[in-house]
Amino acid sequence: MAKKEPDNDFAFDLFKAMQKDNLGYIYRGRFSQEITDNILSLTETSLEKTEQSSKIKKRVYSIMVECLQNITRHQEGTTDSTPDNYGIFVIQRKDEKYYITTGNTINKENIKPIKDLIEKINSLEKEELKLYYKEVLNTGELSVKGGAGLGLIDMARKSGNKLLYNFKEINKSFSYFYLHTIPTLSSEEKPGMNSEESLHNIIDIHEVLNDENILLIFNGVLNQESLMTLLSTIEGQMTGSPNFRKKLFYIVVEMLQNIVKHADNKNEELGGNPGIFFISEKDNEYLLTTGNYIKNSKVNEMRDRIEQVNKLSIDELDGFYNKRLFNFEKEDSKKSGLGIIDLKIKSGKSLKFNFHHIDDNFTFFTFQTRAAINY
Amino acid sequence: MEKLYIEATDDTPGINFNPDENTFIISDRSLPENAIEFYLPIFEWLDKYCSNPNNQTAFDFKLDYFNTASAKQIAKILLVLKKLSENNDVAINWHYKEEDNDMLASGLRYSKLININFEFIKY
Repeated sequence: MAKKEPDNDFAFDLFKAMQKDNLGYIYRGRFSQEITDNILSLTETSLEKTEQSSKIKKRVYSIMVECLQNITRHQEGTTDSTPDNYGIFVIQRKDEKYYITTGNTINKENIKPIKDLIEKINSLEKEELKLYYKEVLNTGELSVKGGAGLGLIDMARKSGNKLLYNFKEINKSFSYFYLHTIPTLSSEEKPGMNSEESLHNIIDIHEVLNDENILLIFNGVLNQESLMTLLSTIEGQMTGSPNFRKKLFYIVVEMLQNIVKHADNKNEELGGNPGIFFISEKDNEYLLTTGNYIKNSKVNEMRDRIEQVNKLSIDELDGFYNKRLFNFEKEDSKKSGLGIIDLKIKSGKSLKFNFHHIDDNFTFFTFQTRAAINY
Repeated sequence: MEKLYIEATDDTPGINFNPDENTFIISDRSLPENAIEFYLPIFEWLDKYCSNPNNQTAFDFKLDYFNTASAKQIAKILLVLKKLSENNDVAINWHYKEEDNDMLASGLRYSKLININFEFIKY
């Protein structure tokens, strides 16, 4: 994946890279208990939507919990605030299988013990693993950090599959430790995707997310329900004064509801519109970017509407807003028009956008607003 | 007249209209997927109320957040109340959290655009 400035084309590149392996949700940042809880509820919502079998839901969920706890136990680094220190959590669903990947910083000294442990775990059969678990539990040996050894054995047991891993150097003392888990969901497993390749794709994406300082990224079906969960994740994750966070909330709601209401969809059965949303931080500003499909026939209208708003000064926008506020004529919930005006007023900056032709019917539309962080 | 009570959810406001107690409150957050659909029963209720209103109507907006689609519906409610105020005593109480400049600004905007008695209440 080519690296670019975090403009709208970057959004399209990222969307394509994520689509390739069906990356559903990516979180990048520090992992705290609160954030872990939010991630769990967000992924639980999407599990509810996409997964019929409650047995599978439970299974995937319990492994996710284990993976996330593993990060909070494992993560170690120089200082808390350096982006290099940010871990990553990814969930994918492809061909009726789930793939969970975590990445976190570890002290290089721990590479060898972790590697040896995973190799040992991978060499054991189910029953042997059970015995090994008991043995470690009793002797208390093997604690790489805070019982992480036990966590890894437990994950291998719960997933019923070999653990796939990788390490990537950050600097002299630290490395990223990536762990890729595939929960076994039934006794008749079909061969899934090439996990080795998929893990490398995730490691590449992690590098881009680090370079662009992307704090949160969501790729999946957007509907009112996933929107609400995303909002609570954002509320729990973003920094700044209460007023600023409120402003961010306004911006995110309008941007995401634009997708929920206006985007088009190649597949009606999804129960929402596919889209990408991410927040990056740069030069004391948050950049908020969305990307979604629209019908080719809507492109010109969309361009005109944004350009019209971009041309107006803040005073003019205010008048325009008032006019639209009391315009109930074309009243169907799809044509408020207020949303775009409000986004420009709230962010105070020009709205960036781009169109990428996909095929005879659809265009990929990317849209970006920015907000100066005020503490 | 019957009361109208709708429990607040994460994305829809709480509605408590009770003419017997002279209480008319819209509270919490309003960001439904379909604002028009959500506000429809509210307008139906208000239409009935306006045909037989109390002597005095004090209407409380105590919202924490609303999206632009809801902003239009609130504008519509205010227009209904404006009409009522032509022959009746109507007051709007616009509540806003201390430091919530956006909510105050929204209220000020409505008060400039609609000629009705507005009271701003910080909480």
